[in-house]
Amino acid sequence: MELTKNITLGVYLPGKSSIHNLDPRTKIITATIMIVLLLISRSYAAFALSALFVGFLITLSGVPAGYAMRGLKPMLPVLAIMWVFQLFLFKAPDTTIYFHWWIFEATAAGLHMGNLIILRVLFLFTVTTFLTLTTSVVSLTDGLESLLKPLRAIGIPSQELVMTLVIALRFVLILAEELEKIIKAQMARGVAFDRGNFIQKTRKIFPVFLPLFIGAFKRAEELIVAMDARSYTGGKGRTKMKTLHMGRVDLEAAAAMIVYGGLLIYIIIFTEPMI
Amino acid sequence: MSIEVVNLSHSYKEGTPFEKQVLFEINLSVGEGEFVGIIGPTRSGKTTLAQHFNALHIPRRGKVLIDGLDTKDKRADLVKIRHRVGYVFQNPEYQLFAPTVGEDIAFGPLNQKLSREEVDERVREAMAQVGLDYRALRDRDIFALSGGQKRRAAIAGVLACKPGVLVLDDITAGLDPRGREEILSVIKELHHRQNLTTIFISNSMDEVAAMAERIIVIDRGRVIMDDSTRNVFARFKELRDIGLELPEVTVLIDRLRTAGFNLPAGVLNVSEALTSISAALRELEAQK
Repeated sequence: MELTKNITLGVYLPGKSSIHNLDPRTKIITATIMIVLLLISRSYAAFALSALFVGFLITLSGVPAGYAMRGLKPMLPVLAIMWVFQLFLFKAPDTTIYFHWWIFEATAAGLHMGNLIILRVLFLFTVTTFLTLTTSVVSLTDGLESLLKPLRAIGIPSQELVMTLVIALRFVLILAEELEKIIKAQMARGVAFDRGNFIQKTRKIFPVFLPLFIGAFKRAEELIVAMDARSYTGGKGRTKMKTLHMGRVDLEAAAAMIVYGGLLIYIIIFTEPMI
Repeated sequence: MSIEVVNLSHSYKEGTPFEKQVLFEINLSVGEGEFVGIIGPTRSGKTTLAQHFNALHIPRRGKVLIDGLDTKDKRADLVKIRHRVGYVFQNPEYQLFAPTVGEDIAFGPLNQKLSREEVDERVREAMAQVGLDYRALRDRDIFALSGGQKRRAAIAGVLACKPGVLVLDDITAGLDPRGREEILSVIKELHHRQNLTTIFISNSMDEVAAMAERIIVIDRGRVIMDDSTRNVFARFKELRDIGLELPEVTVLIDRLRTAGFNLPAGVLNVSEALTSISAALRELEAQK
C-alpha cells in the first residue's frame, strides 16, 4: 500500500544540472511558452520536434525519464477512454471510415483527434511535472512572485496568490500521505475497497474522506496559526533573503528556446495538420 | 495466534529516485499469548514492520506467516487476516468518521457481515473492555469526546473485530498522564484476561519496560536485539548508542547503586523499585 509512489506533480528532485541552476523565471516563462506552442501544434511533425526537445531537456537535467513520466500511470485508463471516445464519436465530413457498427464509426478524423488530445495531455503533464521536478518550491515561489509583480499595480495581490498556490502544491503530497494512512486504518478494520458493486464501493468513500477533510481543515488552521505566530502579514513590505539573478545559463536557455520555438512555428505553419 | 517473519526486506518508493530501503532481512516470530515490545529510534522501521503483520504491506522479498498463512499467497483472504490481527494506529482518533461513538465502533464488525444483534453485542463488549460507558456514550457525538476518550473509542473499534493479535503502534503518544495510565491498564487487562497476543510499539522505555515480557530492538531496519525485557535493558550502552534510553526508574536505581546503596541491578518498573528500596531501607535501619 503506497499511494505517494506515483505522485510526481509538485515533487522536487534536487540536482545540480544546468536545468536546476536556471533562474526560476526563465523556467516558468519557457514552460509557459512551450505549453502555448503545444496547444497550437496540430501536426505529428510538430509533436515529434517537441518530443525531441523535451527528451533533450530531461536528459540534460539528469531526471530519470521513467520517473518523470511515472505520474502519468494513474491517468492512463482515463486517457485510453478519451481516445476510444474520440475514435468512435468524432464526426467529420469526408473522412475515411475504417469500421462501422450501429451509431459507432471509427474514422480517420476520429483517430487523429484522439491522438491529438492524448499527445497534448501527455506533453502538458510532462512539461509541468518537469518544471516542478527541477525547481524547488521556494524558488518557484520567488520566480512566480517576481513575474507577477507588475499585477500589483492594478490591485491584484500577486504575492498572496502565489503563496496560496504554493501551499496548495505542498498539500498534494501531505494529503496523499494522510489519505494513505486513513485508508490503511480503515482496511485494518476490514474494509475491502476492491469488493462489492458500484454502490457498495461508493459508500466506502465516506470512512476515508470524512476523516481526510476533518484533518485537512485542522491542518489549515494550524498552518494559519503558525504563519500568524511568525507575523505573516501578506506581501506588503516583504524583502528577500536571496534575490534572483539571471546568468549565462539563462541566456543559453533563451537561445535554445528561440531555436526550438522558431522551428516549431515553421512546422506548424508549413506542415499538414493531422486534423 | 502466531506471527512469523522470514527474511523480510522492504523498500519505499521502489523504482523511483527516492527509493529507500527501510527493512533489511528481518527474521522473528511471535508466539501465541506473548506480549512483545518493539522499540527503536524514530524512522527505524517499526511501523513498516508492524504493518506487515496484518497485510497492510505485502512482502516483496521474504515472507510473513500469520498462523501459518502466507500473506503473499494470492488465495489468502487479506480481509480475514486484518480482522484476526487488530492494528491500532498512532493517533487512532484520525480514523474516526461516524457521527456517533457506537456507529464508529460498529464499523469493523459490520464489515465482517455480522447480524445487527451480534454487532450490537460486540460494540457493548468492546466499550466495556476499554472502559467507556455503553449507555451514556453510545449515541454521543464522537467529536465531542475528550482526547483520551476518542483514543479509547478508536481502540474499541479495533477490539470489536475480535482480533487474535493486537498490534499497538505508539498508542499513548500525545496523551496526558492519566489518559496514558488508563489506556495502558486496559491493554494489560486484555492481555491477562484473554491471553491476547500483543505487539506493543512505543517510544517510551518506561512503558515498554512495565508492559512487555520480551523486547525486539530495531535500528535502521535491522533487528539488533530480541530478548527478555531484563536482558535487553541490561545492554544499556548499546541502547544509548542508537539513541534510546533506559527506563527512568532503572536509571534512578543505578544512581543509587553507584551512591553506595545495596540495591539489585536491572530494576525495570516502579513496583520492583519500591520493594527493593524498602528492603534496602529496612536493612539500613537494622544496621543502626
